[in-house]
Amino acid sequence: MFTRNKVQESSVSTDMMKKQKRYEALVKALHADIFRYAMWLIRDKAIAEDVVQETFLRAWKSLDSLKDEGAAKSWLITILRRENARRFERKQFDLVDIEDVAVADPNELGDVALEHRELRRIMANLSEEYREPLMMQVLMGFSGEEIAEQLNLNKNTVMTRLFRARNQIKEALLGDQPKGEQVNG
Amino acid sequence: MDELTFRRTIYAEPNTTDPEIIQAAKDDPAKQAFWDEVKAMDAQIVQAMNIPVPENFADKLILRQGLDEFSQKRQKRPWYFAMAASLAMVAGISYMTLFAGNNGLVNDVYAHVSNDYIMKELSMSQSNVTQDSINQKMASFNGVMSKDIGEVVSANYCYLDTIKSLHMIIKGEKGLISLFVVPDSESKGLQDTFSNSEFVGTSFLLESAKIIIVGNNTDDVSQLQKVAKTSFRF
Repeated sequence: MFTRNKVQESSVSTDMMKKQKRYEALVKALHADIFRYAMWLIRDKAIAEDVVQETFLRAWKSLDSLKDEGAAKSWLITILRRENARRFERKQFDLVDIEDVAVADPNELGDVALEHRELRRIMANLSEEYREPLMMQVLMGFSGEEIAEQLNLNKNTVMTRLFRARNQIKEALLGDQPKGEQVNG
Repeated sequence: MDELTFRRTIYAEPNTTDPEIIQAAKDDPAKQAFWDEVKAMDAQIVQAMNIPVPENFADKLILRQGLDEFSQKRQKRPWYFAMAASLAMVAGISYMTLFAGNNGLVNDVYAHVSNDYIMKELSMSQSNVTQDSINQKMASFNGVMSKDIGEVVSANYCYLDTIKSLHMIIKGEKGLISLFVVPDSESKGLQDTFSNSEFVGTSFLLESAKIIIVGNNTDDVSQLQKVAKTSFRF
C-alpha cells in the first residue's frame, strides 16, 4: 500500500515538474505579447494585469489540453478573451460605461515618443471591432484565417475590418496634420 | 489588377504574399509606392503597439501560479477529514438537541438527591409533612395526592434545570427516596429509568405530570413507583 503510493507519488511529482517547466517556458515566451494584447483590449493597466494573471492561471490549470506548443498563442488569446468577457459579466450591473472610462490615456500605455503617442491615441479610439483584428494581425502575427476563427467571423469580414482599421488610422493621421502640409498618397 | 482591389488587399494585409499583388506592384511603381507607404505605417503601428511590459511580470505570473498551487494543495486534505469533521459536528449537534437538555435535568435530579442537599432540605422542614400541605403545593401542578404515600419528611419546590418541580423526600425501607413532580411538557425525553454509581431513578407519566423517583435502592424506588401511580391524580 505504502510502496505503491510512493511510486505513484514520485511519478506524479515528475509529471508536475514537467508541467511546471512547460508552464514557465510558456510564460516567458508569451507573457509580453499577451500583456500587450490585454492592454490594447482593455486599456487599463491594472485590469489588464489582473486579466493576464487570470489567463495564465487558467492556462496552468488546463495546460494538459494544449497539445501543440505552436498553437499556444491563439490558445492563450482565446482564454484571455474569455476572461475579459467574464469581467463584463461580473460588471454587468455597474452603471459606469467602461468604454467611457477607458478613453485612452496615452500615458497609461507607457512612455512614448511623440509620434507614437499620437498613433496610440488613434488606435485606442478605434472601435473594438476594428482594433481587435488589427492587434491580432500586427501584434500576434495571426493570419486572416486565425483571426476569423478567434473572432468567430468569416474571413472576408475580417479582411474588410482590417482594411477599414488601417483606413481609419490613415485618415486620422492625415486629419491631424495641419492644413497645407497635407500629403496625399 | 484594378486599383481598388489592390489597395483593399494591401490595407487588409500589408505582408501579403499573394503573387498577383506582388506582380501588380512590380508592374506599377505607383502601386509599389503605395504598398511601401502602408508598410511604413504598419511598422509605426507595430512600434506604437509595443508598450512596455511591467517589470518582472513573467516572474509574477510564475509566482502567482505557485501560490495558487500551494493554496490548492493545502485545501486538498483527504476526503475523510471533511467526513470526520462533519460527522463530529452532526454527532455533537444531535447530542445537544436530543440529550443535553434532559441530561441537564437528570444531572440536576442527582444534585437534588445528594446527601448534602437532602440534609439541607431536612434541616429546613418539620418532619412528617401532612397530606394537606402537600396538596397545597400539588395544586400548582393541577394535581392531588389522594392517598398516603408513606412518611414524607420534606416537600418543597425546587428548580431542576430551570423547571419548577415539587420535591418530596420520603422515608423508604432502606433509606430516603426523592419524588419529583414536574410538568410533562418540560421534561419530554427524560428516560424511563436512569442511574449512576449512587442512585437509581425512574420516571413515568401521569396525565399531565411526570413523576420522577430517585433513591439509593432499586426495591425502594420500584415500591414507591407502584404506590405513587395510584396516589396521584392530575
